[in-house]
Amino acid sequence: MTARDLIPIAVLTVLAALLPLVVTSSPVLNFLVFMLIVALGAQGWNILGGFGGQFSFGHAAFFGTGAYVTAILQLRFGVNAWAGLVLATLAGAAVGWAIGFLSFRSGLRGSYFALVTLAFAEVFRILANAASVTGGAAGLLIKLDVHPANLQFGDRAVFYWLVLALVAAVLLLTRWIQRSRFGAQLVAVRENEDAAKALGVNSLTVKLRAIALSGGVTALSGCLYAQYFLYVDANIAYGSWISVELLLAPIIGGVGTVFGPVVGALTLHGLGEVAKQFAGRIPGIDLIVFGGVLVLAVAFARGGILGLLERVRDRGRGMMARGPKEVSHADR
Amino acid sequence: MGRSVQDTGFSRRTVLKAGAAAAAVTALPFAAPSVLRAQTAVVKVGILQPVTGALAHDGDLGRAGAEMAINEINAAGGIKSLGGAKLEMVFGDARSTPEAGTQEVERMQAEGVAAIVGGFASPICLAASQAAARYDLPYLVDVGVSDQIMARGLTNTFRFSPGFGKVTQVALDNLTAINDKAGKPAKTVVLVHEDGLFGSGLAKLLQTELPKRGFEILETIAHPTPARDMSNVALRIRSLNPDLVIPSNYYGEFVLLARTMQQQRIKPKGIYAILGGAASNGRFVKEFPQAAQNVIDCNHWHDPKNPKALALRKAVEGQGKSFAYNVSLNYSNVLLLADAIERAGSTDRKKIIEALNASTFAGHIMPYGPTKFVNGQNEGATPINTQIQGEDIKVVYPDAFAEAKANFPAA
Repeated sequence: MTARDLIPIAVLTVLAALLPLVVTSSPVLNFLVFMLIVALGAQGWNILGGFGGQFSFGHAAFFGTGAYVTAILQLRFGVNAWAGLVLATLAGAAVGWAIGFLSFRSGLRGSYFALVTLAFAEVFRILANAASVTGGAAGLLIKLDVHPANLQFGDRAVFYWLVLALVAAVLLLTRWIQRSRFGAQLVAVRENEDAAKALGVNSLTVKLRAIALSGGVTALSGCLYAQYFLYVDANIAYGSWISVELLLAPIIGGVGTVFGPVVGALTLHGLGEVAKQFAGRIPGIDLIVFGGVLVLAVAFARGGILGLLERVRDRGRGMMARGPKEVSHADR
Repeated sequence: MGRSVQDTGFSRRTVLKAGAAAAAVTALPFAAPSVLRAQTAVVKVGILQPVTGALAHDGDLGRAGAEMAINEINAAGGIKSLGGAKLEMVFGDARSTPEAGTQEVERMQAEGVAAIVGGFASPICLAASQAAARYDLPYLVDVGVSDQIMARGLTNTFRFSPGFGKVTQVALDNLTAINDKAGKPAKTVVLVHEDGLFGSGLAKLLQTELPKRGFEILETIAHPTPARDMSNVALRIRSLNPDLVIPSNYYGEFVLLARTMQQQRIKPKGIYAILGGAASNGRFVKEFPQAAQNVIDCNHWHDPKNPKALALRKAVEGQGKSFAYNVSLNYSNVLLLADAIERAGSTDRKKIIEALNASTFAGHIMPYGPTKFVNGQNEGATPINTQIQGEDIKVVYPDAFAEAKANFPAA
């Protein structure tokens, strides 16, 4: 990685980190925390779906595992919340590897893979709803005990910084993947798996690595969700809402780009929240905006918002150079 | 390129004008509250209800109840100990998710509410009351029955209505009493429950409790929420031919089950719902009167002998809305809160919490008697039994509140 790869990430992180010093409003911070948690999970999806081209409809399986593992460890075994964070991430990676092993080894691709992940998430949801270790349908309530050692902070800004730091870390990880040999192999598998195999890429290993990383990152976001709202039940953890949420953000922001998931999560939720501020008396206005953004992005911004920005930039460059050739040669 | 600033149509003057306009717009919201403050004082009350998503219908009814109480209190001169301060509703849409509930609590806190009433579903109540606890903000749970809500020792959280343990206890006692009174016609039972928090929890409890009371459980049938088809469940019930069907599910599934049973002409001696999703909902009675006939429910319900309750029901139905228990509960909760603020003589949160703890409020419309809070739970709270008879929902048990005799076994 070169300095040019790192500077945008560093600048954005520092700017975002300064935000709580300017904005002290709790609703805004609370919203930003939730948005960043979604962005983090979406980054996880993006590693597998964006770079690897394996579209999962069931990332709830990892999100929920993260949430439940930390909650169960704390409640049933008295494990510290910080340790829970690490163990939950590892558990997510393990579940990712296991699901990947079962489905990739059977050669499931495309819509078949998507359906299988959806099925896994549903199976987990039903199991979590019935098992006693997960509290059954009553869910699990992490005890409210505000202390930094318990990963609960009196000031929302601290949690915000924590999530932001993790989002930044995953931005770096994604950038590294993009620049590394592993990333190149992953993209090769995405573009043409058979061609990649012919070139000597072990596609199974590459995909397994990607799904384990992806599962780990998404589990981390689930763990943070549980730790922030202090409550998990089967529908929150393994419900289809989160699977959809996690795949929409990268699709809107830009699939297979480093910043796509974060931009997507910010756009979808940010616009909805702004609409709610201005038209708060109309219930559901934020959901209407959410839907509107989705339709516009899918219709006009193929490649997501980042893809659109790039096209606009290329067109601008093309106009400056007054040569149509420039546009078609613009490097991507 | 060669474009100058002038070409784009931005002159220095327009930029200045735009800047001034922007400044005026941004300054306005800050100026507005101080203008308002000069007039009569207001007490802001947060009303949290899910008015979009799966629970939208219920949330809408809850809001209607709270709104009516606020209007009534304001019409009667507001909070007198605060110089006639009017109540002002700060409404929050909890959508149907815990995190949306939390977000709305944060917003209400920022708007400076004195207390929050509502939540409806247990997961929303759990998350929202916890978020409010960070600010010592009094939180009155309107419906959420989960026993976890009150078991956390949060000093800001109060529940005026009964919890799950109490409701099931009373429901079983009343079922036994109604059955005994009719000469014990019901001996065999089929349980139909949704597989979520509420349904499976209830089923588990009934499985241990019913046999102790001399009922035989033939089968327990679980279904997901939402369920689109109840034919298989109905067919199973037909082949088992139980005396009693005990469903515990939400509105849509309950209606579907009742209608499917009607279509297939399955007529057990009774359908006895516990916290039934539709069994005491005016909409069900209005839309499917035949399927709804004789369904008994043990649920939250207002005191039918209270004239204020009858007036409220009439007013709600006059607005073209169907009536359900959460109207009465939200209405009563707002009255309870207003009484506490009145006695606290302040919008100070600690004082309101103290006043709620000491509350012996009897001006509500539920069959609970004067309130008495122990660890936030109203001890007098109890569900009662209603039955759908004709086009009305009538209280049939206990006798002190009964408007009609229970039609059991159903003819």
